[in-house]
Amino acid sequence: MSLLEKLNSIDYWTHFVAVGLFGLGLLGFLIRRNALVVLMCLELMLNAVNLVLVELSLKTGTSEGIILVVFVITVAAAEVAVGLAIILNLYRLKKTVDIGVFKNLTR
Amino acid sequence: MEAFDYILSISKVVLILVGVIQVVPIMIYVERKVAALIQDRPGPNRVGPLGLFQPIADAVKFLFKEDPIPLNTNRFLYTLAPFLSLLPACLVIAALPIADKAILFGREIYIQITDLDVSLIYILAIGSLGVYGILFGGWASNNKYSLIGSLRSASQMVSYELPLGLAVVGTVMVYGTFSLREMVLQQEGTFLGFLPNWGIFYQPLGFLVFLVASFAETNRLPFDLPETEAELVAGFHTEYGSMKFATFFMAEYMNLATMAGLMTVMYFGGWHLPWVKDSQLLEWLGSQNLLCIVQIITYIVKVAFFLFLYVLIRWTLPRFRFDQLMELSWGSLIPLGLINILLSAVIMYFTGGKV
Amino acid sequence: MKEAAFAFFSLFTLLTAAGVVLSRGVVYSAFNLVLSLFGLAILYLLWGASFISMIQILIYAGAIVVLFVFVVMLLNLEKPQDIAPPWIRGILTGVSVWGLCFILLRVFSRSFGEMPSVEPQKASVRMISQLLFSQYLWPFEILTVFLLALIVGIYMLARPERETPHESP
Repeated sequence: MSLLEKLNSIDYWTHFVAVGLFGLGLLGFLIRRNALVVLMCLELMLNAVNLVLVELSLKTGTSEGIILVVFVITVAAAEVAVGLAIILNLYRLKKTVDIGVFKNLTR
Repeated sequence: MEAFDYILSISKVVLILVGVIQVVPIMIYVERKVAALIQDRPGPNRVGPLGLFQPIADAVKFLFKEDPIPLNTNRFLYTLAPFLSLLPACLVIAALPIADKAILFGREIYIQITDLDVSLIYILAIGSLGVYGILFGGWASNNKYSLIGSLRSASQMVSYELPLGLAVVGTVMVYGTFSLREMVLQQEGTFLGFLPNWGIFYQPLGFLVFLVASFAETNRLPFDLPETEAELVAGFHTEYGSMKFATFFMAEYMNLATMAGLMTVMYFGGWHLPWVKDSQLLEWLGSQNLLCIVQIITYIVKVAFFLFLYVLIRWTLPRFRFDQLMELSWGSLIPLGLINILLSAVIMYFTGGKV
Repeated sequence: MKEAAFAFFSLFTLLTAAGVVLSRGVVYSAFNLVLSLFGLAILYLLWGASFISMIQILIYAGAIVVLFVFVVMLLNLEKPQDIAPPWIRGILTGVSVWGLCFILLRVFSRSFGEMPSVEPQKASVRMISQLLFSQYLWPFEILTVFLLALIVGIYMLARPERETPHESP
């Protein structure tokens, strides 16, 4: 199957989008130094996984994947709340959100 | 789908949207007149008979005013923000069922732009996007008062979405569907023999929570902390002038219309006349299209009642303090919403499905 | 028509996701994140998974990113404090990440390629909730306890610092 034919089928297209999203999230997670942007990139990666889960769930005609997505979204909301609280505390400590500064956690 | 269907649905979108936008000038006039009545002064009375052309004069004034952009601002977000708050307000209208159906050109046409199977969550979800206009607008203005206003708005919106959602859960439990159209269809006839079969009699507590939370969601007095003119100049729209300010204004009134429409649909029987069944009405009137017109008028009257309630409360109640606002949401409304869900579940368990 | 919409919104999602990573200002990152999540929600809607699409908008775009923007504005970071990594390290990271992604794509097409393709089904709210409250009841209950623990944890993190008590002589 040539690449063009592959891109014509919706399944392949979805995997392409999901992997691209995951890659962008991972890239941002590794190269960005701002703690807030790092958290956002984490969200991008979670969403890439959600995309594959929803697609598989619809493809196989079961609802299991969608239930997993509901759980993932709940945990992601929780994770963001905790992460932002930690970032706020770190900002109180050092007046910056650059993660390079927090190599050692002593005052 | 044929081309005719596309034309039909596009004209439906345009007609309903244009119809709902008429709320804005009417509300401007009503608000000024009621304020004048309450404060014992004549109100607008110069432009046209009884000052009826005042909204037109206002619109002309907004259009021709200078449109300043403050220095050192983020121009892109500053310009985008008003439209970010208007867009969700327009999108939300797509899910409101205004009347049942008309028969035109030999086919049934539902007087609702689209009936999603999750239209209730659709309204809540898209409505919650309106906060971005306020947030980015306040931030891009590069003004401390605006920033404080938009920060207040963010925490207020997030806090009051919870009671709004909890109140809605009770209704969904009673009717067993997320589709607003089906909800209205189930509210026909009488309840216990002498009451109209409306949602408010099944969910009185839920309605109370929803009403209060909807005031906060639309940033109306007594919850207009994001734009308190006594503390923050004008809050998030301090730096906005001309048509950009008017766009914020339009978004606010359209949100009001949506909330009033949602309350009508969920708690006050939507397009149904009280006590009367649609089939009886159809016999008396004799034609489906006539019935449809009666339904539209009923719906508009109900929505107008809620809009008037909003105006009345705005000019009679004083503003809350910010800590009181948070206390009200987390301390009273959320527990009340949870109690409402629990009570509904218990009653539904004993009566076997119906409250 | 549907394919075109699908292609448009997947490109939109990817481009705005790139915007999250590459924007200099944090506010622009947050703005792009909203657009990206919204694009994903529209993709779900195009598939007919309307419930999950609305949940995505309600929770991700309506609540989580609002929290992000709230914190960004609360901290009010004046200058972009982001320091780009040394560019050799940047290139190495990029190459390894995209290599990993290529492998992932191959794995996907290998393992999902031979799956019997059923006619795509609409996942109705009723179906999802029935499964959630019967077969997946225990995970659901554990999640609620988890959220309770989370509220306590965030309170401990965010409470105002207690003033040091006076030492008795």
